[in-house]
Parts: sequence; structure tokens; C-alpha cells
Amino acid sequence: MYEVRFHGRGGQGAVMAAQALASAAHIEGNYGVAFPFFGAERRGAPVLAFTRVDKDRIYTKTQIYEPDYVVILDDRLIELVNVAQGLKEIAVAVVNSQKKPEELDLGIPIKTGVVDATSVALEVLGAPITNSSILGAFAKTTGEVKIESIEGGIRDIFGHRIGEELGEKNAKAARAAYEKTEVGTCRGERKMEVKKQWLPTYKELPLGAATRPMQTDAGLVGPGSFIDNKTGSWRTFKPVYDKDKCNMCRFCWFYCPEGCIYDKKEEMVFDFDYCKGCGICANECPKEAIEMVRD
Amino acid sequence: MKDLPDEELFTAGHTACPGCGCPIMVRAAMKIFGPNTVCYFPANCLLVFGATYPQDAFKVPYLHVLFENSAVCASGIKRGLKKLGKGDVNVVAFAGDGGTADIGIQALSGAAERNEDIIYICYDNEAYMNTGIQRSGSTPHGAWTTTTPVGKKIAGKELYKKDVPRIMIAHDVPYVATASIGHPADMLRKLEKARDLKGFRYLQIFAPCPTGWRFDTAKTVQLAKMAVDCGLWTLYEAEDGKVTINKKPKMTPVKDYVKLQGRFRHMTDEQIDSLQEWANKKWERDSAMVIE
Ligand SMILES: Cc1ncc(C[n+]2csc(CCOP(=O)(O)OP(=O)(O)O)c2C)c(N)n1
Ligand SMILES: [Mg+2]
Repeated sequence: MYEVRFHGRGGQGAVMAAQALASAAHIEGNYGVAFPFFGAERRGAPVLAFTRVDKDRIYTKTQIYEPDYVVILDDRLIELVNVAQGLKEIAVAVVNSQKKPEELDLGIPIKTGVVDATSVALEVLGAPITNSSILGAFAKTTGEVKIESIEGGIRDIFGHRIGEELGEKNAKAARAAYEKTEVGTCRGERKMEVKKQWLPTYKELPLGAATRPMQTDAGLVGPGSFIDNKTGSWRTFKPVYDKDKCNMCRFCWFYCPEGCIYDKKEEMVFDFDYCKGCGICANECPKEAIEMVRD
Repeated sequence: MKDLPDEELFTAGHTACPGCGCPIMVRAAMKIFGPNTVCYFPANCLLVFGATYPQDAFKVPYLHVLFENSAVCASGIKRGLKKLGKGDVNVVAFAGDGGTADIGIQALSGAAERNEDIIYICYDNEAYMNTGIQRSGSTPHGAWTTTTPVGKKIAGKELYKKDVPRIMIAHDVPYVATASIGHPADMLRKLEKARDLKGFRYLQIFAPCPTGWRFDTAKTVQLAKMAVDCGLWTLYEAEDGKVTINKKPKMTPVKDYVKLQGRFRHMTDEQIDSLQEWANKKWERDSAMVIE
């Protein structure tokens, strides 16, 4: 039996990747199950998905706590979540990154396969959707499953969900990523701090309100405290602003869903701590003073 | 727009999907309503991305009770505040289209009939998005959702969009208006008017959802504008039942709007024709509400 944990962001299709891997295993005569971690996560927020593969019927229904393989669809997640959680020294990682394996620090020194899946996806699919490409890297790095089976699994799952033609394209992306994957060993110096939770007793709660704005061990809580939650790492593209073309109409300021474009009277200032890179500002700018570029 | 305050009463750091139309509306609304406001939320996306206990993007008191009863709870809060001598506080309910057109309509209708002194805002993203895209009464004809899947016999939603603003006008309340995030000046004026009037005020604000409608996140505002241009969403307001059309639609082909969205990708020419016909009829109906 082997177990895989996928680290992705909502909307990146980690669940579909997990399913396609299970389907690929099935093509090779194995049993496979795939399932997501249930939560209230939106697009862009860190999410988990799992695949469990075995020669025999699988009766284990639990979440996966000590995976043999960990697949990371976005290397910026390494800074945000503890991707090394539950990994043993013999575990193997597969990472979408522009870096080399030796340049990555996953918190445990293990065999690591790396591919720039975002570039592959942009090239083959025309969109930064990396869930198919990363499976090519998985096949190359782990050798658990043949690339042909991965292609088959993708045709099956993706084809069913988004149409045969796109299924085929995604299979191509996996193959392209397979060819480009580089395998090495990552570093293991990182110590992830476990984020504290705010668990007050009833006596500590203010009377008549759930929370007031307060600084706690776990950071800000209460009204307005979301300002502590930096969403900038969700971005794939970022706005580049040309002050000379800007006429200070404030449309970008108004339309920004995050409210992270500030009017500084002489110029607009973009706050990359929060910008999710949606591109509305660039699309709506009447002077074409904003352009979206790969972050 | 130039006069809007810089201060955000709905802060950054919320967890809406990139390109979400709803926070554009909420930021603007909170700037208009100001700090002397309490908000009420039924279950919806805004509730989840705007606050996950103990963190919260709103800088004003914020309450969450049940999916069905936004209008009831808001009414109760307002009456309570009045008893405490705080009748000047704006009480606003922010509900989704599912929480308005379907599950909350009974409470909404009751509060409107009693002419409760509250503002009820429905942000219309045309499906139950929070739970992963199920059709609502407000979903348009032809749209794919997980509960109106695309198969051989049926492709997308067969029925047409429920016209909730007209139902609300029929309640004879002081103010009913439709708005869109694509028309800021019109939307801000309506929010202001709603704030300054007394009695029951209903606003339905069109807010596209890139995740559920399957389009490029940069096109949220553009699609909101196109919906108004092609007549699938009309901008009007009714003051004490007297209807004014705020923008005559250009009646551009519905097809241009449909083409940009994955949820309509499967639509045949015939289906698009039906939707076009519905848009034409909608404009006839909406313009007929105006009494000279
Ligand atoms: C009585 C009840 N039924 C179902 C749910 C699950 N639920 C939570 S949010 C939601 C969808 C809300 O849709 P809508 O009102 O359109 O808001 P949106 O999520 O689209 O913003 C559903 C079905 C619930 N919370 N309560
Ligand atoms: Mg909705």
C-alpha cells in the first residue's frame, strides 16, 4: 500500500489530481481511493487531498496522517503549511517549483522531484492549472506508476469532468512535465511554528458579544481582525502599475475586491500583502495603466 | 465615488475567491452605511469568507443566525435597538440569492409586509455558491450547476430566473432597487437612498462569481456590465411603488454575454434563443412597470 497527500490551493484541482492518480493505479490493476479534506476553504486557500493505493481491496477509511508521498502543487505553500507533517525519512516529495530540489527546504531532507508545472501548464493548457502536470512529475519521481497509466487516469477523470479534448490536453501536460522533472534531495532545516489557537474560557469572553477586537497569543481576534490574514501568497499574477498613464479615476480602488489598492493622492499604491492577483484592476483601468504579469 | 471614505469597514484579509464580485459590493455598502451599523448574515459565502471565528473582516457588530430567517432576525434586532433608544443604528441583512429567492423568502415577505425598519441586501451570484454551486431560483435559464448538470436529455437549468425584485415591489414597501457592481455611481446612489429612508428597503445587487460561472477572474466587473447591456439584468428602483428605470438596456445579443462563461458553454443556439427571448420579455415587463 502507498499513501499520498496533496497540498494545493482551492481551485487548483488537487482533488482531481488525487482522483486521476487513483484511476491510474486502477488501470494497472490496483485498487485506489481518493478523497478531499473537508473544510470551508475557498479558491486560493491551502487545501488537502489524499490518494490511497493498494494491490488488495482498501478498507481503511481514515485520513492519511503519515503519507509515503507528498505532492505540493505550489511551492509557496511550503512557507504557509507544515508540508513535512507526518513524513518519515523514506518519504518522497514532488513539488511544483522553479527551484532545484537542493534549493527547497521542506523541513525534512528527503528525495524530492521538482518540475516547473506552472510554466508547463501555461504552455500546454494556456492556464496556470498544475494538477495534471504534477502527476507526470509524480510518475517520474516515484516510479510507483507508469506515465502511460497517468495519462490514462487523466483522460478518465479530467475527460469525464471537463470534456475529452481538455482531458487529452491535460494528459499531454503530464507527459511534458514527466520529461522535465528533476530529482534530487531537498534540505531539512525549516522549523515550522505551529500556529496557536485562541481557545478562551467563558470567563475570558466579553459579556454581550462574541469577541471584541483583541490581541491574543494567536494573533488578532474580533471585528476587523482578518487584517492579520495575509492573502498575498494566493497570487499567480500581479498588477504592475504605470503612474504616468494613471488619471487617478479611482476605478481600480473601487473595484478591488480586497480593498488593497490605496489612493495616495499622487498615485495609487498596491498592497501585495493582500492582492490575490484577480486582474480586475487591470481589466477595468480606462487608461491601461495596469498590466498583469506572472508574479 | 470621489467622496467615498478611504476607511475600510470591511477589511482586507478576507478569504473570498480571487475576483469575487461580492466583496466589491460589501466594501462599498459599508462605506455608505458607516460605523453606526449592525449586520446580519444567513449562511452564505460572505459569511464564511468575511468571518471565520474568531477572525472577522467587519469592523461593525456582526451576527450570524440561520439560513431561513435573515429578515426576521434583522427585524428583531432593529426593534430591540429602538427600545434601547438606539433607533438610529442601520440594521442591514446581507443575504445570498439562495437565502433570498428560495429559503429566506417567507421571512423576507413577512418583514416586508410588516414594513420593518431594515435594509435587506441580496447579492445575486445566481446560485448557491458556498456549498459548491447548486441552482437557486435566481439561476438563469441554461446555466450549468451541480444540480442542473449537462446531460443528453437536459443541459443546464430548464427553468428561468425568478424575479424577486418584482415580488418585493408587490409588497408596497418604501424602497426596492436593483443594482450592479458594474455600475458604481448608480449602486452608490441607491445604497445612500436606502440608508436615508425609513421602513423596509430591499436591494438586489448583481455580483458575478468567477468560480461558479467559470470565467476569468479579471472579467467580474465586465460581465456585470454586459448583463445590464444585454437586458438579463435591468437597473431600476421603486419608491413607494413608483418605478423609475435607471438605465435603458442596449439590448446587445445575449450570446456575447453567454460566450464568456463556462456555465453556459454547452448551450445550443436554440437554448440561447430562448434566453434571448426571455431577456426581450423581461425588458417589456420591466419597462411596463413605469407609469407615466
Ligand atoms: C437550513 C440550511 N440548509 C442548508 C445549509 C447549507 N448552506 C450553507 S450556505 C448555502 C448556500 C447559500 O447560497 P446563497 O444564499 O446563494 O449564497 P452564496 O453562497 O451564493 O453566496 C447552503 C446551501 C444551511 N446552512 N442551512
Ligand atoms: Mg448565491
